[in-house]
Amino acid sequence: MGETMNLKPLGDSALLVSFGEVIDEETNDRVHALAGAIEKANFGWLIEVVPAYSSLAVIYDPGLIDFEGVKRAVEGLGFSEERFEGRLVEIPVLYGGDYGPDLEFVAEYNGLTPEEVIEIHSRQVYSVHFLGFLPGFAYLGGMDERIATPRLERPRLKVPAGSVGIAGKQTGIYPLESPGGWRLIGRTPLRLFNPSKEPPTLLQPGDKVKFVPIDEGKFEELYEAEWGEGDD
Amino acid sequence: MIELLNVPSLLTVQDSGRPGYRKLGVPVSGYMDDYSVRIANYLVGNPGNAPLLEFLLSGPAMRFNASAVFAVAGDVDVKLNGVLIEPWTSHWAKRGDILEVGTLRSGLYGYIAFAGGVRCEPLLGSCSAYPKANLGRPLNAGDVLNLGYAILTGKEGRYLPPELRPDYSAKEKTVRVVLGPNLDHFTEEGIETFLSEAYTVTPESDRMGYRLDGPAIEHSPKGADIVTEPLVPGTVQVPANGKPIVMMRDAQTTGGYAKIATVVSEDLSILAQSRPGTKVRFRAVGVEEAQEILRRREKTLKAIEEFLAGKMRAYRIRTFGEERTAFTKVEKGD
Repeated sequence: MGETMNLKPLGDSALLVSFGEVIDEETNDRVHALAGAIEKANFGWLIEVVPAYSSLAVIYDPGLIDFEGVKRAVEGLGFSEERFEGRLVEIPVLYGGDYGPDLEFVAEYNGLTPEEVIEIHSRQVYSVHFLGFLPGFAYLGGMDERIATPRLERPRLKVPAGSVGIAGKQTGIYPLESPGGWRLIGRTPLRLFNPSKEPPTLLQPGDKVKFVPIDEGKFEELYEAEWGEGDD
Repeated sequence: MIELLNVPSLLTVQDSGRPGYRKLGVPVSGYMDDYSVRIANYLVGNPGNAPLLEFLLSGPAMRFNASAVFAVAGDVDVKLNGVLIEPWTSHWAKRGDILEVGTLRSGLYGYIAFAGGVRCEPLLGSCSAYPKANLGRPLNAGDVLNLGYAILTGKEGRYLPPELRPDYSAKEKTVRVVLGPNLDHFTEEGIETFLSEAYTVTPESDRMGYRLDGPAIEHSPKGADIVTEPLVPGTVQVPANGKPIVMMRDAQTTGGYAKIATVVSEDLSILAQSRPGTKVRFRAVGVEEAQEILRRREKTLKAIEEFLAGKMRAYRIRTFGEERTAFTKVEKGD
């Protein structure tokens, strides 16, 4: 559990609230509770709130309020009574084969069979601590350390959108095709980021995530439904 | 309608960006130099944030397939039908006219604004191109641009006097910053190094961030890595090698390197216009002063907007030995 709130300027148009440099569920819940309370308060000067593990940025219009004013407003929110409840989102994943070319390596590295890796990876309920790095990329907490695996020594130049990977003690899903060094164990047919939808991301900060193993037939069917129309 | 004939370098549509989606990991994006942009838009009678074209270093050539009013912002040669015309001035183009924008003599980003703005299908509330996430794309020769509706008459011939044009030619610049928030990750000597030494903009710089080179900034025993936190355009991150990286408009929304400072909004335009090789010095100001700088700047831009619209008169005054431009309202019957 983090320390008390620490509020500092992040330039002339943002304020950073920190609960200490920690990664734990309880502190992250406080971050989301505070983020929700700020959004709900409907301050006229608020542009947006950006949560992370144990901190959040409050981005404001300095034409309407100064730093001290924002600081007082945030400190004055009685958010601690709020309980934070995220949604549970199920994410279908086709594990192994061409979709998860590193599944065998992750298994070998940890002295497990590929089936055991899938079982361990898909049993857990993960928390979306926050989104960052790329549009729709979720920092997930709660991976079982029995499947922890170091990143690739040489990152791939192209990782397809939807790839599910492991990097150290973290697991995550690539929302967009991009270069990347995570060990890929599978792929979801769902679109993690779709700019023509509102909201544009499948996952929201504070959600819970569960991976559900699927077969190739189901993958094709869901892929067609998600990506079929439009070519981007 | 405008047809792009030649696009020699990165050319994108930009507006003030897409705030509201950063918690989903979507960068705010938007134009790199909002000072130039707002003046370019005011020249053609637009609101300051109307979508316009941003080019990197070399401007495009284009053909007007309908009449339009346009203005080019930048230290650059501009030709209409082969004849040199003034930048920082609004001009009238008629059907068939050809506009050629040359290469910037100073600065990095130039702008072409059109009365009515460049029309686009906003994605997540903005026309700003962020190709990495398929939010718009760089423009190519052959692309056709549509313009928004504008009453064209009376908007041409607006002219920004040279003394009001931003000058990005200096080889050494001072950029003001608000220190923090991760100062506990640096030694006092490290912070002193950051504030006293000159840092050079390197070629590894783009719309996402500018990497600077110079004396290494010393971290405290807490080290260079932090638990990932939000950051904003202007934030200066210092990774383990001690060389600062200033995040720019396409910055990712969060970062894992210690943040020593954030550049004040006004000076982020100046940094954005700094070519590789430019030396940058950082000077610390308090957050109150940074916000006062911002308020003064808004007043200046408002005055420039009214001056360009003919509602203000500009004149030169000398205060404390420094010559500057002041504005006064145009009275009735003037």
